[in-house]
Amino acid sequence: MTNLMAFARGKGLAAAKGGAPARLLFDEPGPRARRRIRVATVVASLAVLALLLLAVRQFAAAGQLDAARWQPYATWPMWRYLLNGLWSTLLAAVVSAALAMAGGLVLALGRLSSRRPVRWASAAYIEVVRTVPALLLVYVVLFALPRYGLDLPLFWKLVVPLAVSNAAAFAGIFRAGVLSVDRGQTEAGLAIGLTRGRTMRMIVLPQAARRVLPSIVSQSVGLLKDTSLGFVVSYAELLYSGKVLANYNHLLIQTYIVVALVYLVVNASLSKLARTLESRQARA
Amino acid sequence: MDALSGNLPALWDGLVVTLRLTLLALAGAFAIGAVVATARVSPVPVLRAAGTVYVETLQNIPLLVLLILAVFGLPEIGVQAGLFTTAVVVIALYQAAYVAEALRSGINSVAAGQGEAARALGLTFTASLRHVVLPQALATVVQPLGNIVIMLTMNTSLAAAVGVVELTAAANRVNLIEAQPIPIFVGAGVAYMLLASVAGYVTGVLERRLAIVR
Amino acid sequence: MVHAPALSRMRRAALTVAAVVSMSAMAACSAEGGSPAVPPGAGAPETAAADAFANAPVAAASEILPGSTMEKIKQRGELIVGGSLDAPLLSQQNPVTGQVEGFDADLGKMLAKYIIGRPKVKIVNSASETREALLSNGTVDVVFQTYTITPERAEQVAFAGPYYTSGLAVAVKKGITGITKPEDLDGKTVIAGANTPAIPAIKKVAPNAEIVTFGSDPECVQALKQGRGVAYVQDQSLLVANGKSDPDLQVVGEPFTTDPYGIGLKHADDQMKTFVNGWLKKIQDAGLWQQAWKNSIGTVVQGEAPAPPAIGSVPGS
Repeated sequence: MTNLMAFARGKGLAAAKGGAPARLLFDEPGPRARRRIRVATVVASLAVLALLLLAVRQFAAAGQLDAARWQPYATWPMWRYLLNGLWSTLLAAVVSAALAMAGGLVLALGRLSSRRPVRWASAAYIEVVRTVPALLLVYVVLFALPRYGLDLPLFWKLVVPLAVSNAAAFAGIFRAGVLSVDRGQTEAGLAIGLTRGRTMRMIVLPQAARRVLPSIVSQSVGLLKDTSLGFVVSYAELLYSGKVLANYNHLLIQTYIVVALVYLVVNASLSKLARTLESRQARA
Repeated sequence: MDALSGNLPALWDGLVVTLRLTLLALAGAFAIGAVVATARVSPVPVLRAAGTVYVETLQNIPLLVLLILAVFGLPEIGVQAGLFTTAVVVIALYQAAYVAEALRSGINSVAAGQGEAARALGLTFTASLRHVVLPQALATVVQPLGNIVIMLTMNTSLAAAVGVVELTAAANRVNLIEAQPIPIFVGAGVAYMLLASVAGYVTGVLERRLAIVR
Repeated sequence: MVHAPALSRMRRAALTVAAVVSMSAMAACSAEGGSPAVPPGAGAPETAAADAFANAPVAAASEILPGSTMEKIKQRGELIVGGSLDAPLLSQQNPVTGQVEGFDADLGKMLAKYIIGRPKVKIVNSASETREALLSNGTVDVVFQTYTITPERAEQVAFAGPYYTSGLAVAVKKGITGITKPEDLDGKTVIAGANTPAIPAIKKVAPNAEIVTFGSDPECVQALKQGRGVAYVQDQSLLVANGKSDPDLQVVGEPFTTDPYGIGLKHADDQMKTFVNGWLKKIQDAGLWQQAWKNSIGTVVQGEAPAPPAIGSVPGS
């Protein structure tokens, strides 16, 4: 799913360093331009507002805004149930992220290995996995493996495919991070008599780790979104909890709006963290 | 392998739907993404804010949730569209946020002097973006955009959850009847890999074409 | 790792003491609130269900044979059931209490009480395709999940029962004409739950119908109301329940399939099969089966509980 942004970001690592602020693309608007902008802004905002009002009116006319349809989400038991789901979402995300990062590190080092078969195998894994949908991997774990006697517990039915697919994405991030460390660092390490492994471990990786931190956080946001595949697995994460709730109270649309908002708040906070980390690094 | 060959028509239909979903959503995502990216670097504060809100909202809600909300929610505000159309639009809107971010970071990667030089020549915002900054940005964003194409292809599989019988749904249905998951899912996986490798190949060619030799 | 069933087990443990209290509180709540969000009959039958468990029989010690599956369950102190959390009327989690409610869920609890002495159940939420594997590798003791007995399945698992007979029916949006029997669906767009038995059944009676699937029952209902298909094929009792809470929905004709539901057990575990069949007979004779029906499906289907199907009457059972 969102894995592939990691590659995009990895690539962008080096480029972003000398980035020009977008402001340089235009002169500060003069008084006349400012007036035009103001008028256009007001007109456009009014148009958007009118559209929104129309949508809300339609929504209300369809009875979707009736107080009775929203009242359950003003009660604690519904929220307790959803927050339980959120907790399961976070748990699944954290465990898959840990596994995917470990796998990704191994794969990244494999791709940078001096041995050809290792390099080749890692590259093959990454290429295959990043071009197969996570949903398909979920179906394999859900329907195919039990046929061959491997029926994982529900939690792992979600975590394993996510870890497998995200490992490739994390490998991309780590590889870009390692490559972004100046060659001179490796050369210096070798020159003072460290082995290749030690140079990697003691000199290159610590520097790379700092640089890839923002990409790791934003990849984790992607992974957190991927846990919504629990809907398919029937693992009781946030979206599946929403499904059970909607089944119970028949409030399909209200429930999914609330679920969407919870995802938005959690992920936006994580994304903000990623940006904070990024800007702190840009300053350093 | 009988399960695979015996059900080729059903799987082929699924593949065609996946292809149509991918291409239509891709066109939409690039168009909308370009607009949003322009908004995010424009001189108009409201546009910049709107662009930011757009990207933040769509990148932080799972596509699956957006799909379900759109399919069942839009008819309630009077927008009735078919499942396939809804899926195309939602996937396009969702991926547009990623396209916009890739384009923006591409624009930011162009040296500051280029924009300044363009302005010094008297070019307007749009003209300097179109003739000076974007052509240079394009070379650096080909790779990220190629990855978004692959990501979008994979994401079309989520349309299966809202009743669109694309490749993944077709494979799942065939498996329900044939109960031969390994050949069926491997077959579907190979089809996705072929689609992705086409995208990868085109990306590679474009990258070489657009590379700016200095 | 704490996964969902374990979580709900924790919650359930915490709630066991307060269960009766909170359930009667809920009944009061729905009586005075009158919110349309609370499904019909969600309040009152709960106390009745609690009564049903109080009267439910416990097996004599001599019936728990040494070395048997029953003994293993008794020693564990918990019956592990393969089931659902999102099957209204049969096995649906109540988000307020965390309890799983419905006909299947209540039978599971009664079976647990019969073996262990307490209605202590852990539900392992299972996709329908994995039930055979869950039973054969011992992840679950029994499966209560609209598990239709077929001779093919009986080669992989053992079935006690049948304990209930149901059937698929057709629902349409109120006011739609021209659909009076399942054959009328041929050439039309029909809505069905993803991975449900409705899909092959529709293919059989209406080979040219185009089937659109959605992940859950409320999604299918919404899709029907929004005109994404002309009809919705689902278990009759579920459709009747939907029709009750939603006046836009209309059930057409009688069920067109006969699905005998069995209790899935490990293949060739004859001891357990005899034991479970014995228990089923007992709760049917004691009127507890009928009470469980009244508390769940009976809240939406009119009239008295039907006569339970004869145990062992279906090929494969």
